[in-house]
Amino acid sequence: MRRFLTIAIPIVTLALFICIMLSGSILKRPLGKDDDVPQAIENLIQKINNDDWDKVNSEIDNLEKAWKKVIHRVQFSLERDEINDLSMNIARLRGAALAEDKGNSLTELLEAYNHWKEMGK
Amino acid sequence: MNEGLVVLVRAIIGFFSLLIFARILGKEQISQLTFFDYILGITIGSIASELTVDLSSRAWPHWVGLITWASLAYLMEIISLKWRYAAKYIEGEPAIVIMNGRIMEDVLRKMKIRISDIMVLLRNKGVFDLNEVDYVIMEPNGQISVLKKSEHLPLTPKDMNISVSPTGISTELIYDGEIFEENLREMNKDTKWLMKELKKRGIKDVSEVFLATLNDAGSLYVDKYKDNIKKVKDIGDYKGPY
Repeated sequence: MRRFLTIAIPIVTLALFICIMLSGSILKRPLGKDDDVPQAIENLIQKINNDDWDKVNSEIDNLEKAWKKVIHRVQFSLERDEINDLSMNIARLRGAALAEDKGNSLTELLEAYNHWKEMGK
Repeated sequence: MNEGLVVLVRAIIGFFSLLIFARILGKEQISQLTFFDYILGITIGSIASELTVDLSSRAWPHWVGLITWASLAYLMEIISLKWRYAAKYIEGEPAIVIMNGRIMEDVLRKMKIRISDIMVLLRNKGVFDLNEVDYVIMEPNGQISVLKKSEHLPLTPKDMNISVSPTGISTELIYDGEIFEENLREMNKDTKWLMKELKKRGIKDVSEVFLATLNDAGSLYVDKYKDNIKKVKDIGDYKGPY
Protein backbone atom coordinates (compact mmCIF):
# COMPACT_ATOMS: atom_id res chain seq x y z
CA MET A 1 0.00 0.00 0.00
CA ARG A 2 2.81 2.37 0.96
CA ARG A 3 4.65 1.63 -2.29
CA PHE A 4 1.45 2.23 -4.23
CA LEU A 5 0.94 5.58 -2.52
CA THR A 6 4.55 6.71 -3.12
CA ILE A 7 4.00 6.18 -6.84
CA ALA A 8 0.35 7.24 -7.02
CA ILE A 9 0.64 10.53 -5.10
CA PRO A 10 3.26 12.12 -7.46
CA ILE A 11 1.37 10.88 -10.54
CA VAL A 12 -1.96 12.22 -9.29
CA THR A 13 -0.30 15.51 -8.26
CA LEU A 14 1.34 15.99 -11.68
CA ALA A 15 -1.92 15.04 -13.44
CA LEU A 16 -3.78 17.63 -11.33
CA PHE A 17 -1.21 20.30 -12.20
CA ILE A 18 -1.51 19.49 -15.91
CA CYS A 19 -5.31 19.73 -15.65
CA ILE A 20 -5.07 23.14 -13.93
CA MET A 21 -2.58 24.45 -16.51
CA LEU A 22 -4.57 23.22 -19.50
CA SER A 23 -8.03 24.02 -18.13
CA GLY A 24 -8.17 27.46 -19.78
CA SER A 25 -9.53 26.36 -23.14
CA ILE A 26 -12.30 24.37 -21.43
CA LEU A 27 -13.17 26.77 -18.62
CA LYS A 28 -13.48 29.75 -20.98
CA ARG A 29 -16.56 28.11 -22.46
CA PRO A 30 -19.92 29.08 -20.94
CA LEU A 31 -21.04 27.02 -17.95
CA GLY A 32 -24.26 28.97 -17.35
CA LYS A 33 -26.48 31.54 -19.04
CA ASP A 34 -24.66 34.71 -18.00
CA ASP A 35 -21.08 33.76 -18.81
CA ASP A 36 -21.33 33.25 -22.57
CA VAL A 37 -18.74 35.69 -23.92
CA PRO A 38 -19.01 34.79 -27.67
CA GLN A 39 -22.81 35.03 -27.48
CA ALA A 40 -22.56 38.45 -25.82
CA ILE A 41 -20.15 39.59 -28.55
CA GLU A 42 -22.50 38.30 -31.25
CA ASN A 43 -25.46 40.12 -29.66
CA LEU A 44 -23.45 43.31 -29.57
CA ILE A 45 -22.42 43.01 -33.24
CA GLN A 46 -26.09 42.63 -34.14
CA LYS A 47 -27.16 45.63 -32.09
CA ILE A 48 -24.35 47.80 -33.49
CA ASN A 49 -25.10 46.75 -37.07
CA ASN A 50 -28.74 47.73 -36.46
CA ASP A 51 -27.59 51.05 -34.94
CA ASP A 52 -29.52 50.13 -31.79
CA TRP A 53 -27.23 52.27 -29.56
CA ASP A 54 -29.75 52.41 -26.69
CA LYS A 55 -29.37 48.70 -26.09
CA VAL A 56 -25.65 48.53 -26.86
CA ASN A 57 -24.67 49.86 -23.42
CA SER A 58 -26.69 47.22 -21.54
CA GLU A 59 -25.23 44.55 -23.84
CA ILE A 60 -21.72 45.80 -23.02
CA ASP A 61 -22.63 45.39 -19.33
CA ASN A 62 -23.67 41.80 -20.06
CA LEU A 63 -20.42 41.16 -21.93
CA GLU A 64 -18.35 42.62 -19.08
CA LYS A 65 -20.27 40.59 -16.49
CA ALA A 66 -19.78 37.40 -18.51
CA TRP A 67 -16.08 38.13 -19.03
CA LYS A 68 -15.50 38.85 -15.32
CA LYS A 69 -17.07 35.49 -14.47
CA VAL A 70 -14.82 33.74 -16.98
CA ILE A 71 -11.68 35.53 -15.68
CA HIS A 72 -12.08 33.90 -12.24
CA ARG A 73 -12.02 30.46 -13.84
CA VAL A 74 -9.25 30.94 -16.38
CA GLN A 75 -6.80 33.17 -14.47
CA PHE A 76 -4.64 30.21 -13.36
CA SER A 77 -4.16 28.78 -16.83
CA LEU A 78 -4.05 31.78 -19.16
CA GLU A 79 -1.53 34.54 -19.56
CA ARG A 80 -2.20 37.86 -17.90
CA ASP A 81 -1.68 39.84 -21.13
CA GLU A 82 -4.38 37.89 -22.99
CA ILE A 83 -6.83 38.55 -20.15
CA ASN A 84 -5.88 42.22 -19.92
CA ASP A 85 -6.13 42.70 -23.69
CA LEU A 86 -9.72 41.49 -23.76
CA SER A 87 -10.60 43.68 -20.76
CA MET A 88 -9.05 46.63 -22.60
CA ASN A 89 -11.16 45.86 -25.69
CA ILE A 90 -14.31 46.07 -23.56
CA ALA A 91 -13.20 49.39 -22.03
CA ARG A 92 -12.48 50.87 -25.48
CA LEU A 93 -15.74 49.45 -26.81
CA ARG A 94 -17.59 51.40 -24.10
CA GLY A 95 -15.99 54.61 -25.32
CA ALA A 96 -16.76 53.88 -28.97
CA ALA A 97 -20.37 53.07 -28.06
CA LEU A 98 -20.71 56.37 -26.19
CA ALA A 99 -19.56 58.15 -29.34
CA GLU A 100 -21.85 55.87 -31.37
CA ASP A 101 -18.80 54.99 -33.47
CA LYS A 102 -19.81 51.92 -35.43
CA GLY A 103 -16.40 51.28 -37.01
CA ASN A 104 -14.39 51.38 -33.80
CA SER A 105 -17.03 49.44 -31.89
CA LEU A 106 -16.93 46.59 -34.40
CA THR A 107 -13.12 46.67 -34.49
CA GLU A 108 -12.92 46.30 -30.71
CA LEU A 109 -15.54 43.55 -30.70
CA LEU A 110 -13.85 41.51 -33.39
CA GLU A 111 -10.49 41.93 -31.70
CA ALA A 112 -12.04 40.84 -28.38
CA TYR A 113 -13.51 37.80 -30.12
CA ASN A 114 -10.14 36.97 -31.61
CA HIS A 115 -8.52 37.20 -28.15
CA TRP A 116 -11.19 34.92 -26.74
CA LYS A 117 -10.71 32.42 -29.59
CA GLU A 118 -6.93 32.33 -29.13
CA MET A 119 -7.09 31.91 -25.36
CA GLY A 120 -5.58 28.67 -24.08
CA LYS A 121 -4.15 27.70 -27.47
CA MET B 1 -7.58 38.80 -12.11
CA ASN B 2 -6.02 38.29 -8.69
CA GLU B 3 -2.30 38.21 -9.44
CA GLY B 4 -1.29 37.26 -5.90
CA LEU B 5 -3.61 34.24 -5.95
CA VAL B 6 -2.38 33.21 -9.41
CA VAL B 7 1.26 33.41 -8.25
CA LEU B 8 0.34 31.36 -5.16
CA VAL B 9 -1.23 28.59 -7.28
CA ARG B 10 1.66 28.68 -9.75
CA ALA B 11 4.18 28.56 -6.90
CA ILE B 12 2.48 25.42 -5.54
CA ILE B 13 2.62 23.86 -9.02
CA GLY B 14 6.29 24.81 -9.47
CA PHE B 15 7.35 23.75 -5.98
CA PHE B 16 5.79 20.30 -6.00
CA SER B 17 6.73 19.63 -9.64
CA LEU B 18 10.33 20.44 -8.76
CA LEU B 19 10.17 18.26 -5.66
CA ILE B 20 8.82 15.29 -7.65
CA PHE B 21 11.37 15.73 -10.46
CA ALA B 22 14.22 16.07 -7.97
CA ARG B 23 13.15 12.84 -6.27
CA ILE B 24 12.96 11.03 -9.61
CA LEU B 25 16.32 12.38 -10.72
CA GLY B 26 18.12 10.80 -7.79
CA LYS B 27 19.71 11.34 -4.47
CA GLU B 28 23.05 12.82 -5.46
CA GLN B 29 24.55 15.08 -2.85
CA ILE B 30 25.54 18.62 -3.79
CA SER B 31 29.21 17.66 -3.28
CA GLN B 32 28.84 14.88 -5.86
CA LEU B 33 27.49 17.16 -8.57
CA THR B 34 29.48 17.53 -11.73
CA PHE B 35 29.75 20.92 -13.42
CA PHE B 36 26.98 19.97 -15.85
CA ASP B 37 24.71 18.77 -13.02
CA TYR B 38 25.24 22.11 -11.34
CA ILE B 39 24.23 24.08 -14.45
CA LEU B 40 21.31 21.71 -14.97
CA GLY B 41 20.09 22.43 -11.44
CA ILE B 42 20.33 26.17 -11.93
CA THR B 43 18.45 26.01 -15.26
CA ILE B 44 15.65 23.82 -13.92
CA GLY B 45 15.34 26.09 -10.86
CA SER B 46 15.25 29.16 -13.06
CA ILE B 47 12.46 27.69 -15.23
CA ALA B 48 10.48 26.86 -12.08
CA SER B 49 10.86 30.42 -10.80
CA GLU B 50 9.69 31.84 -14.14
CA LEU B 51 6.73 29.47 -14.06
CA THR B 52 5.83 31.00 -10.70
CA VAL B 53 6.13 34.73 -11.29
CA ASP B 54 6.11 35.31 -15.04
CA LEU B 55 2.39 35.96 -15.47
CA SER B 56 2.90 37.39 -18.97
CA SER B 57 2.98 33.84 -20.30
CA ARG B 58 0.97 30.75 -19.47
CA ALA B 59 2.25 28.27 -16.87
CA TRP B 60 2.00 25.38 -19.31
CA PRO B 61 4.94 26.23 -21.65
CA HIS B 62 7.18 26.79 -18.62
CA TRP B 63 6.09 23.48 -17.18
CA VAL B 64 6.77 21.72 -20.49
CA GLY B 65 10.26 23.27 -20.41
CA LEU B 66 10.71 22.08 -16.84
CA ILE B 67 9.66 18.50 -17.56
CA THR B 68 11.73 18.43 -20.77
CA TRP B 69 14.90 19.47 -18.93
CA ALA B 70 14.18 17.05 -16.09
CA SER B 71 13.46 14.20 -18.56
CA LEU B 72 16.67 14.90 -20.51
CA ALA B 73 18.64 14.93 -17.25
CA TYR B 74 17.03 11.59 -16.33
CA LEU B 75 17.82 10.23 -19.79
CA MET B 76 21.45 11.29 -19.44
CA GLU B 77 21.59 9.59 -16.05
CA ILE B 78 20.24 6.34 -17.52
CA ILE B 79 22.61 6.53 -20.51
CA SER B 80 25.63 7.15 -18.30
CA LEU B 81 24.58 4.27 -16.03
CA LYS B 82 24.13 1.79 -18.85
CA TRP B 83 26.88 2.95 -21.22
CA ARG B 84 30.30 3.61 -19.74
CA TYR B 85 31.62 5.15 -22.93
CA ALA B 86 28.89 7.80 -22.85
CA ALA B 87 29.39 8.31 -19.10
CA LYS B 88 33.00 9.28 -19.74
CA TYR B 89 31.88 11.91 -22.19
CA ILE B 90 28.86 13.19 -20.24
CA GLU B 91 30.22 13.20 -16.70
CA GLY B 92 33.92 13.43 -17.39
CA GLU B 93 36.54 11.20 -15.85
CA PRO B 94 39.08 11.46 -13.08
CA ALA B 95 42.40 12.95 -14.15
CA ILE B 96 45.76 12.50 -12.47
CA VAL B 97 47.18 15.96 -11.84
CA ILE B 98 50.13 14.90 -9.69
CA MET B 99 51.82 11.56 -10.34
CA ASN B 100 54.76 10.23 -8.32
CA GLY B 101 55.03 13.70 -6.80
CA ARG B 102 55.33 15.38 -10.21
CA ILE B 103 52.82 17.94 -11.44
CA MET B 104 51.22 17.04 -14.76
CA GLU B 105 51.23 20.46 -16.44
CA ASP B 106 49.57 19.22 -19.65
CA VAL B 107 46.63 17.80 -17.69
CA LEU B 108 46.24 21.06 -15.78
CA ARG B 109 46.26 23.03 -19.03
CA LYS B 110 43.72 20.68 -20.59
CA MET B 111 41.44 20.92 -17.57
CA LYS B 112 41.95 24.71 -17.34
CA ILE B 113 42.96 24.51 -13.69
CA ARG B 114 45.72 26.56 -12.10
CA ILE B 115 48.20 24.94 -9.75
CA SER B 116 47.10 27.49 -7.12
CA ASP B 117 43.59 25.93 -7.27
CA ILE B 118 45.13 22.52 -6.68
CA MET B 119 47.10 23.96 -3.74
CA VAL B 120 43.87 25.31 -2.22
CA LEU B 121 42.19 21.92 -2.57
CA LEU B 122 45.25 20.23 -1.12
CA ARG B 123 45.26 22.55 1.89
CA ASN B 124 41.54 21.77 2.36
CA LYS B 125 42.61 18.15 2.59
CA GLY B 126 45.22 19.02 5.22
CA VAL B 127 48.21 18.78 2.89
CA PHE B 128 50.49 21.81 3.07
CA ASP B 129 53.67 20.39 1.57
CA LEU B 130 53.83 19.05 -1.98
CA ASN B 131 56.72 16.79 -0.92
CA GLU B 132 54.20 14.69 1.02
CA VAL B 133 52.09 13.99 -2.06
CA ASP B 134 52.41 10.92 -4.24
CA TYR B 135 49.22 11.09 -6.29
CA VAL B 136 46.51 13.75 -6.70
CA ILE B 137 43.46 12.87 -8.74
CA MET B 138 40.99 15.45 -9.90
CA GLU B 139 37.52 13.91 -9.67
CA PRO B 140 34.69 14.83 -12.07
CA ASN B 141 32.85 16.61 -9.23
CA GLY B 142 35.75 19.07 -8.81
CA GLN B 143 37.09 17.48 -5.63
CA ILE B 144 40.55 15.99 -5.37
CA SER B 145 41.62 12.65 -3.97
CA VAL B 146 45.07 12.61 -2.42
CA LEU B 147 47.41 9.69 -1.88
CA LYS B 148 50.30 10.68 0.34
CA LYS B 149 53.74 9.14 0.02
CA SER B 150 54.08 6.01 2.17
CA GLU B 151 56.41 7.73 4.62
CA HIS B 152 53.82 10.42 5.31
CA LEU B 153 50.86 8.10 5.84
CA PRO B 154 49.53 7.93 9.41
CA LEU B 155 50.49 4.98 11.58
CA THR B 156 47.74 2.40 11.93
CA PRO B 157 47.22 -0.38 14.49
CA LYS B 158 48.03 -2.83 11.70
CA ASP B 159 51.48 -1.28 11.24
CA MET B 160 52.11 -1.87 14.94
CA ASN B 161 50.62 -5.38 14.85
CA ILE B 162 48.03 -4.38 17.43
CA SER B 163 44.70 -6.18 17.26
CA VAL B 164 41.67 -3.95 17.68
CA SER B 165 37.98 -4.82 17.84
CA PRO B 166 35.74 -3.18 15.25
CA THR B 167 33.86 -0.18 16.61
CA GLY B 168 30.98 -0.38 14.14
CA ILE B 169 28.22 2.20 13.83
CA SER B 170 26.74 4.00 16.80
CA THR B 171 23.06 3.44 17.46
CA GLU B 172 20.98 5.99 19.35
CA LEU B 173 19.56 4.59 22.58
CA ILE B 174 18.35 7.81 24.20
CA TYR B 175 17.54 11.12 22.57
CA ASP B 176 16.01 14.09 24.33
CA GLY B 177 15.35 12.03 27.48
CA GLU B 178 13.47 9.32 25.60
CA ILE B 179 14.58 5.68 25.34
CA PHE B 180 14.39 3.99 21.93
CA GLU B 181 13.26 0.48 22.91
CA GLU B 182 13.50 -0.77 19.33
CA ASN B 183 17.18 0.22 19.06
CA LEU B 184 17.87 -1.36 22.45
CA ARG B 185 16.36 -4.64 21.26
CA GLU B 186 18.38 -4.43 18.05
CA MET B 187 21.57 -4.12 20.11
CA ASN B 188 20.46 -7.10 22.28
CA LYS B 189 20.17 -4.91 25.36
CA ASP B 190 17.29 -3.95 27.63
CA THR B 191 16.17 -0.98 29.69
CA LYS B 192 17.47 -2.59 32.87
CA TRP B 193 20.99 -2.75 31.42
CA LEU B 194 20.76 0.81 30.20
CA MET B 195 19.62 2.14 33.56
CA LYS B 196 22.45 0.25 35.26
CA GLU B 197 24.97 1.85 32.88
CA LEU B 198 23.47 5.29 33.47
CA LYS B 199 23.64 4.80 37.24
CA LYS B 200 27.35 4.02 36.88
CA ARG B 201 27.71 7.48 35.34
CA GLY B 202 25.76 9.08 38.16
CA ILE B 203 22.53 9.51 36.21
CA LYS B 204 19.35 8.70 38.13
CA ASP B 205 16.74 9.46 35.49
CA VAL B 206 16.61 9.16 31.68
CA SER B 207 15.29 12.72 31.45
CA GLU B 208 18.77 13.95 32.45
CA VAL B 209 20.22 12.50 29.24
CA PHE B 210 20.32 14.42 25.97
CA LEU B 211 21.94 11.70 23.86
CA ALA B 212 23.17 8.17 24.47
CA THR B 213 24.63 5.96 21.76
CA LEU B 214 26.08 2.47 21.72
CA ASN B 215 28.48 1.09 19.13
CA ASP B 216 28.99 -2.51 18.06
CA ALA B 217 32.07 -2.79 20.28
CA GLY B 218 29.81 -2.13 23.28
CA SER B 219 31.12 1.34 24.06
CA LEU B 220 28.41 3.62 25.43
CA TYR B 221 28.50 7.38 24.86
CA VAL B 222 26.33 9.50 27.16
CA ASP B 223 25.76 13.25 27.01
CA LYS B 224 23.79 14.91 29.79
CA TYR B 225 21.85 18.15 29.60
CA LYS B 226 23.96 19.44 32.48
CA ASP B 227 27.46 19.59 31.06
CA ASN B 228 29.10 21.04 34.24
CA ILE B 229 31.36 23.24 32.14
CA LYS B 230 31.78 26.57 33.90
CA LYS B 231 33.08 28.60 30.96
CA VAL B 232 32.22 27.70 27.39
CA LYS B 233 35.10 28.39 25.02
CA ASP B 234 34.29 31.10 22.45
CA ILE B 235 35.96 30.38 19.14
CA GLY B 236 34.57 33.49 17.41
CA ASP B 237 37.25 36.03 16.44
CA TYR B 238 35.11 39.12 17.04
CA LYS B 239 32.02 40.12 18.96
CA GLY B 240 28.75 39.59 17.13
CA PRO B 241 25.17 40.58 17.89
CA TYR B 242 24.79 37.59 20.27
